[in-house]
Amino acid sequence: MTNVDTLQAQPRARAAVNRNQCLVELRHISKTFGGIQAVEDVSLSLYPGEVVAVLGHNGAGKSTLMKMLAGAYPIDSGEVLIKGRKVHVRTPAEAQRQGIETIYQTLALADNLDAVANLFLGRELLTRWNTLDDLRMDADARKVFQRLNKNFKNYHTPVRRLSGGQRQVVAISRAIYFNAQILIMDEPTAALGPEESAMVAQLIEQLKAEGVGIFLISHDMHDVFALSDRLAVMKNGQLVGTYRTHDVTEDEVLGMIIAGRKPADRVQAMRLAA
Amino acid sequence: MNQVLHGIQQSAIDWRMALMTSVLVLITVIFNILSDGVFFSPENLYNIAQQTAVVGILSSVMVLIIVARHIDLSVGAVMGFVGMLMAFLMYSAHWSWPAASLAGLAAAMAVYLYQGALTSLIGVPSFVVTLGGLMSFRGAAYLVSSGKTQPLTDPFFLSLGGGYNGGIGSTASWVLGLLLCAGIVFARVTNRRAKQRYEAPVHALWLDSVLALIPCALVIGLVLVMNAYHIPNKDDAQGLPVPVLIWGGVALCMAFLVRRTRFGRYIFAMGGNPDAAALVGIPVRRVTLLLFMLLAVLVTIAAMVAISRLNAGTSSLGNSLELLVIAATVIGGTALAGGTGSIVGSVLGALIMQCIDSGMLLLDVSIGTRYVVIGQILIVAVVFDVAYRKWTGDVQQ
Repeated sequence: MTNVDTLQAQPRARAAVNRNQCLVELRHISKTFGGIQAVEDVSLSLYPGEVVAVLGHNGAGKSTLMKMLAGAYPIDSGEVLIKGRKVHVRTPAEAQRQGIETIYQTLALADNLDAVANLFLGRELLTRWNTLDDLRMDADARKVFQRLNKNFKNYHTPVRRLSGGQRQVVAISRAIYFNAQILIMDEPTAALGPEESAMVAQLIEQLKAEGVGIFLISHDMHDVFALSDRLAVMKNGQLVGTYRTHDVTEDEVLGMIIAGRKPADRVQAMRLAA
Repeated sequence: MNQVLHGIQQSAIDWRMALMTSVLVLITVIFNILSDGVFFSPENLYNIAQQTAVVGILSSVMVLIIVARHIDLSVGAVMGFVGMLMAFLMYSAHWSWPAASLAGLAAAMAVYLYQGALTSLIGVPSFVVTLGGLMSFRGAAYLVSSGKTQPLTDPFFLSLGGGYNGGIGSTASWVLGLLLCAGIVFARVTNRRAKQRYEAPVHALWLDSVLALIPCALVIGLVLVMNAYHIPNKDDAQGLPVPVLIWGGVALCMAFLVRRTRFGRYIFAMGGNPDAAALVGIPVRRVTLLLFMLLAVLVTIAAMVAISRLNAGTSSLGNSLELLVIAATVIGGTALAGGTGSIVGSVLGALIMQCIDSGMLLLDVSIGTRYVVIGQILIVAVVFDVAYRKWTGDVQQ
């Protein structure tokens, strides 16, 4: 198992992670798009070192909810608390400053730029003359890519020429390098082969061990049950329920996704441990 | 041999640029043969160089506009308006040339703040905004002096456009050329050292040497040719024409912006994937607005060179210039879809177009035929571009 610490800009101080401090608390979040209620009064929390799967049909509002946390969409009403402090994430840059990193399903890569430029896009390292410090970025990027995938050598070809797995490495490397504390992963394994999916699963385990909180949007039931600690199901913009993953069965989850039916005799869990 | 081949493949040599340079050389050689050696005469080359400057200055910024998925159809009209305004202030209002130039810059900034804000803040497609601008500012160029031509007399200002007193002389040309060469070599050496410090792979020494020597040879060659142009009743040779120096300075600055600054990188990122650019936190609107401000500065510079070349401001200044600028940019390998383009390409594109135009003029080809040919060359360039991208796998199918 590789050590993620050595990849980061500043190694995370493990002792500083207080596992009982709620990392993210979304309170009564709502959002409408031109009269359509995309997200309605959703409350959800995330603790350090846990993976919360966010499930639902296409259009259930899960991506919209996550994009609001990532600063890509403005929030109509509701509050976001990061480590107990109320924050406003109006832009992606503000979300990044709060330690929120997002790996979008589309990967959000500039296809005409190379892997190094994409890793640092929007947060380039600069020399003291405020010009791009390409050599330092190259050297740092090399280390991150090497750890994530030893075969990754195409640092300087436009990422459009890379394979799906390699593109995913570039997108993930952003979250690693910039020391994510809160990670949003939108369908991280949808475009990947089995080997690369295993790499992502291993990475999630490592990040959990480091105390990173992860929101995982996925359609893949296998991934959800293998990787998540809790799961939240959304339907028509509303939250159906939040449960510990090992408390529910796959059928019950499907029932929530498809019919919005809460499973009988199950206790909702706002956090993993009591 | 294999090692050499590998070195070449790994090198930063852009094959597309190499090919374009070959095309340029081929075109000029053909014209030289057809014109019995007149094309390569220092006088002709001097004229071509200074004639290309205005289109070259504008296409170096048009590259960035098109890379960012915008377009500016109003460059020619705004240049006409700004140039006319500056000439009017100098001739009719008796302003000094620095004051008039600053006023021109302010006007250009206002024009592009307006057009840039409509594009970046409100989201009106730049095609429409600048199409309107093309008509409005063509009209404004007429309104400045009710269409009356404004002659210019300031000797310093007139040297900006080249011409009789527009060369810097042989000594200054040599000094400048050698300084430039020293700069090129210095930049290569520092880059190589820095790479070694970071243990990044470096090119073979011979390859780095060649990569430094080629631009040096070009600079020396340019100085030699320009110093060979001697107007009979003058003591000294012409040397490098001022408009070419301005163009060179502009191109260097733009290349610096593209390669070494966040601004340049963001423009390419926005062109490659606008959604991704916004999602990673690039301030897309601000960068777009800044880009239009940069355009304003370069349009002002181009206007100064253009009116000085004409020795006057006329209301037809810059008529259909936007077409030449966009054509030069596209011939230079900038994709209209955005995301790809280079400053060197814009220089080559402008030169290719001007050489073809001047060459045909030299051969007494009629204006109609010249337009037909240049139009078709634009098509050839785009067909080549599409084929090249398919070949390199940059587009599917």
